[in-house]
Amino acid sequence: MKSWQVILVAGLVGLVALFYRGLWGDPRAIPTVLIDTQAPTFSGPEVRSGAPIGFDQYRGKVVMVNFWASWCLECRTEHENLLALQKRFGSNPEFVMLGINYQDRPEDAQKYLQVYGTNFQHVRDIKGTISIDYGVYGVPETFVIDRQGVIRFKFVGPLVGPSYDHLTHNVLEPLLRGQPVAAS
Amino acid sequence: MKSTVLLVATLALLTFIVTPRSSVSAATIDEQTIDFQVRDVAKTLRCTICQNESIWESQAELARQMRTVIRERLVQGESPEQVRAYFQSRYGDYILLAPRRTGLNWILWAGPFVLLAVGSSLLYRNLARWVGAKSEPTAVEEPGPPIDDAMRQRIEAEYRGRQD
Repeated sequence: MKSWQVILVAGLVGLVALFYRGLWGDPRAIPTVLIDTQAPTFSGPEVRSGAPIGFDQYRGKVVMVNFWASWCLECRTEHENLLALQKRFGSNPEFVMLGINYQDRPEDAQKYLQVYGTNFQHVRDIKGTISIDYGVYGVPETFVIDRQGVIRFKFVGPLVGPSYDHLTHNVLEPLLRGQPVAAS
Repeated sequence: MKSTVLLVATLALLTFIVTPRSSVSAATIDEQTIDFQVRDVAKTLRCTICQNESIWESQAELARQMRTVIRERLVQGESPEQVRAYFQSRYGDYILLAPRRTGLNWILWAGPFVLLAVGSSLLYRNLARWVGAKSEPTAVEEPGPPIDDAMRQRIEAEYRGRQD
């Protein structure tokens, strides 16, 4: 086989391999660049009470931030699991869970929490700046921030099944023990 | 002396007349500049909802909020490059509609031209071969060895046999 033919075949095999890799997975997924970076600070009114809530008041704790919206069907899928997480870890003074209400009308968000219930606080992202600061492009998205304020975990999609298990056992439990996040 | 005084007075008068209008124009020009800068930056950023559109074209609410963030940052004194860098720090390279000209991205930029050059040279080689083969004169066959008398008689007998 001539050398140019070898190069051509190698190039074609490379292209096929690239297409194979690209055809699987979510084509709309945007890889995150925020892991191991300082979490942006934020503040806003609580969805139900209107009281001001700021990320800075929880510095030094493991903070789980969940972006959601009342119109988001997948958010409803994970809602029970979020309540379960808060029930499991909420009594730990080193743990805080915060919801961020994303692109929603206040009355719709309040009704959603009334209907489905909640046991943690939710911040209204009025101008969308919190979402943009966190590189959010769709809900639900969940971040876990360690005691040093560094983002250690990000998940796009509902926390159900394997993703919920991974979050619980490989992310939250180690961080609350003062250990690094376990590999997936 | 009189002409100097007249000149100074004229200049002072003109300044008095022109200045208020100039400050209004400056504000309008600044707003216009910001508008153009917002457009220029927004056209280079991908809408993360409608991912084939820029945030300038997209009607998604997130795109509208991003345009607002661009405007606020420009008004605060950030340069367009700094605003782009902010979005890139939040969303990564994917937020840029045009890939950066660094590292492996050069394959994306140079690839089409390289493929065009390779394809063109292969096409040229093949075309030259085809054209060259057509224009070459047909080789003349060398005559075979002379026929002796015995062979000539045999050929004639067989020819006569076929005609009968």
